[in-house]
Amino acid sequence: MNPLERSPERLPTGARDALPGEAAELRRAEDALRRTLRLYGYRELRTPIIEYAGAFERASRDLDEAYRLFDADGSVLVLRPDLTIPAARLIATRMAGHPGAVRASYTGSAFRLPQPGRPRLSEYRQAGAELVGVSGPAADAEIVELLAACLTEAGVAGHRIALGDQAVVNAVLDATVDDPERRTRLRRAAAARDLVAWRHEADGLDPLVAGLPTRRGGADVLERLAADVPAAADACRRFAATLTLLEGSSAGAAVLVDLGIVRARSYYDGVVIEAYAPGADVPVARGGRYDGLSACFGAPRAAVGFGIDLEPLHRAIVAAAGNGDATADGVVLVGGLGAGRATASALRARGIPVVALDDDASVGAALAQAEGWRYVAVPDGAGHRVTDRATGDELTCARIEEDLPSRR
Amino acid sequence: MPLGALLGGSLDLMERAGIDVAVLRDPGRKLALTAPDGTVFITTRPSDVPTYVEAGAADIGIVGRDVLVERDPDVYELLDLGFGACRMAWATREGDDPSDAAIERFGVVTVATKYPRSADIHFSRLGRQTEVVKVNGSVELAALVGLADGIVDLVATGRTLRENGLVEREVIFHSSARLIANRAAYTLRAEEIDAVVAAMRPVVDEGVVE
Repeated sequence: MNPLERSPERLPTGARDALPGEAAELRRAEDALRRTLRLYGYRELRTPIIEYAGAFERASRDLDEAYRLFDADGSVLVLRPDLTIPAARLIATRMAGHPGAVRASYTGSAFRLPQPGRPRLSEYRQAGAELVGVSGPAADAEIVELLAACLTEAGVAGHRIALGDQAVVNAVLDATVDDPERRTRLRRAAAARDLVAWRHEADGLDPLVAGLPTRRGGADVLERLAADVPAAADACRRFAATLTLLEGSSAGAAVLVDLGIVRARSYYDGVVIEAYAPGADVPVARGGRYDGLSACFGAPRAAVGFGIDLEPLHRAIVAAAGNGDATADGVVLVGGLGAGRATASALRARGIPVVALDDDASVGAALAQAEGWRYVAVPDGAGHRVTDRATGDELTCARIEEDLPSRR
Repeated sequence: MPLGALLGGSLDLMERAGIDVAVLRDPGRKLALTAPDGTVFITTRPSDVPTYVEAGAADIGIVGRDVLVERDPDVYELLDLGFGACRMAWATREGDDPSDAAIERFGVVTVATKYPRSADIHFSRLGRQTEVVKVNGSVELAALVGLADGIVDLVATGRTLRENGLVEREVIFHSSARLIANRAAYTLRAEEIDAVVAAMRPVVDEGVVE
């Protein structure tokens, strides 16, 4: 097809624009996540969008869906397909000399080729946290609590954080299934969420093992398991300790134990995390403990973390907020480019956005309506006549720069 | 809820599991029906069931494994419900299997099917070169008039194949009705979904629903 015949609105499959309304919501969500991560002492780091394919291959990351390119000497490069592995690479190499636990966070875009018949974004934004250099229940609980805080601060409601434990599942399988290939098949079935295949493969095993991926609920699940499979008792105890720590935290009520959460990727070796929220049909966040990942870039180092997907997060925020008041705090100031310039400056100095116009009042009202600004102000004698679009009030303000901040 | 062949078995099973499905016995022209306990039942063609469940428009659904293999949706497969048993099979005309000759002479076997992904999975696992032709109507015809060397199709009794002079050569997989769940709902409504599974499992284990 002649490219000129295409509508100029058309974008490549998987690509998407964000108009001002959505962009503002996404910005607010990201700001809330950054603020929360900072409050827990997770310092932001940035990694490049373009990396060597080898960096991901070291971590056995499947690159089938990655955008590949080449640099001048023929090395294969990729647009980063995720943000966890680059963060692990950076921390394992450039921060190897860091004296204590590393608390790091990131926000950025990752990329994957669109798949035919499966609409999804080719560029997706993630925000995440990594706690590197400490193992044990306290670190796991800190990460889960931080995730819960991030979701709540971003405006999500009714979310649930499902926690599994790869170490528990591995210990149970190692103790009860002799054939390593059968263990792999079982793990693969659970990772694919195919509980029918799991039960088929577990046929003849202890009913306890056969029911493993359907074990959900609270810490009592682990007590019974530890009693039945002594070899898994240590792993169960560690997981139960994490849950006990979480009980007293703000995350407690949202936690659901689900031993069916199993990762196919081999570097997960402890707690596994999947967070869901009403309004999003895919997990809003995923994560877990992957002490083995750091070893791909040097020395093994304990690590636990999560990544929040901004797209489903945004849907969950919208679902929680409903179609509420969409007006943005700000003033369309008629005359603000002329006689009202000092007033515009005074409002901005108080943190109120001002759209300054030279036009007449009707243009101002139409603009406020189209862009969702809360106030329209028109010069009136020495002061202003102000329409508050959120409440419908008509005000007469002698000093608008002092009257408006008090209404917020 | 899948309209068609699986609906009867689904209703029987759910009724035995203590789920009130009375509204579905006489649906009229309505596609979404609300039961007295507030459960909303959505009826749709079977191939759309995974679409609704994957997107979260339905929390759980009942669908044949054949549809799951063909669509490969990102959903939980919770229970094999046992009824609706059939198999995906590779069938060719009676007499010598023409696929060996086709490979020898043309290097490729032509397969007509409504299930291109199932056919692909099967033949690529065998390492057999195939050319898959997607058809929508009676697939048997394709093998009879020489559009293809054989067909991949769902077989229940095998009668349609026999009446058209076709022979089943290989079973690709066995299918039956499955209970599936949306990923988010499986966690967000864990207690309710676990209760449905717990109610259905003993009925399935008894094997009384055909």
